[in-house]
Amino acid sequence: MAKVKKARSAGCDLNMTPMIDVVFQLIIFFVVTLKMTKDENKEIELEDGKHGPIIKEMPPQTLVIELDRRGRISIHNARMGADVLRDIIVGRVNRFRNTNFPVLIRADHRTPHREVKRVMDVCTGAGIWKLSFVAIQEHKANRK
Amino acid sequence: MKVRKQRRITNDQPQLEMTPMIDVVFQLLIFFIVTIKQEDILSMLSAARPASDKEADPEKQPNVLNIEINKMGFVYRGTPVSRNLLERRLASIAEYDKKVSVVIRCTGDSPHRFLVQTLDVCYKLGLTNLAIFSM
Repeated sequence: MAKVKKARSAGCDLNMTPMIDVVFQLIIFFVVTLKMTKDENKEIELEDGKHGPIIKEMPPQTLVIELDRRGRISIHNARMGADVLRDIIVGRVNRFRNTNFPVLIRADHRTPHREVKRVMDVCTGAGIWKLSFVAIQEHKANRK
Repeated sequence: MKVRKQRRITNDQPQLEMTPMIDVVFQLLIFFIVTIKQEDILSMLSAARPASDKEADPEKQPNVLNIEINKMGFVYRGTPVSRNLLERRLASIAEYDKKVSVVIRCTGDSPHRFLVQTLDVCYKLGLTNLAIFSM
């Protein structure tokens, strides 16, 4: 009896099983909810803009319009024409009942301005006057 | 009686097999280390787009800084300038008046990077009254 007591005090008698259960639950939760790929057009190369405010977390209403170097419009990597974009923006304006949700234009640095103008015209046509362009504050991803 | 004794022993000291658990946890750890990808930090350059076309020609308005962007680069007061020179010219104005409205006029064939560079320079100098016109 005395021997058993000694062994108990020497080794930690923590019951591991519930802790492991909880830890695995957490791991599985994070694995399942992890978003491995971002829905964005990977071909777009942004220009450097070191002095603009950093985009930390976008509000959920944010609309990011992608514009590749040939002027093709996409949202979340789903390509669309200018008329579909117009429908989406007008739909949003009607749904939110205002026009001050953030609109970000993520355009490639080689895109001709006339294509950017096309997108800006669609936005201004829906009453959105303040537009923002996405640039790279600091390179972290190792490309090139 | 024998069975009961055995049970008690196992209840007292649960012999948890640690090795496979550690294997699995290390697998997960390595998986996450390998798949994690650093993302670029992005910045946001905002500008207003005035109701163009119908309005008066911005060149005729007073206290407006006109920067023209064409296919080759920047044009300031009728002369082509480099990015550094543009920055110096704007800096000399931004010293006195940060509220001055800057109108950036882009031609259709100008690459988007010049517009972003111009906006970036304006942000650097603290000029926030920015407008983009398309030609």
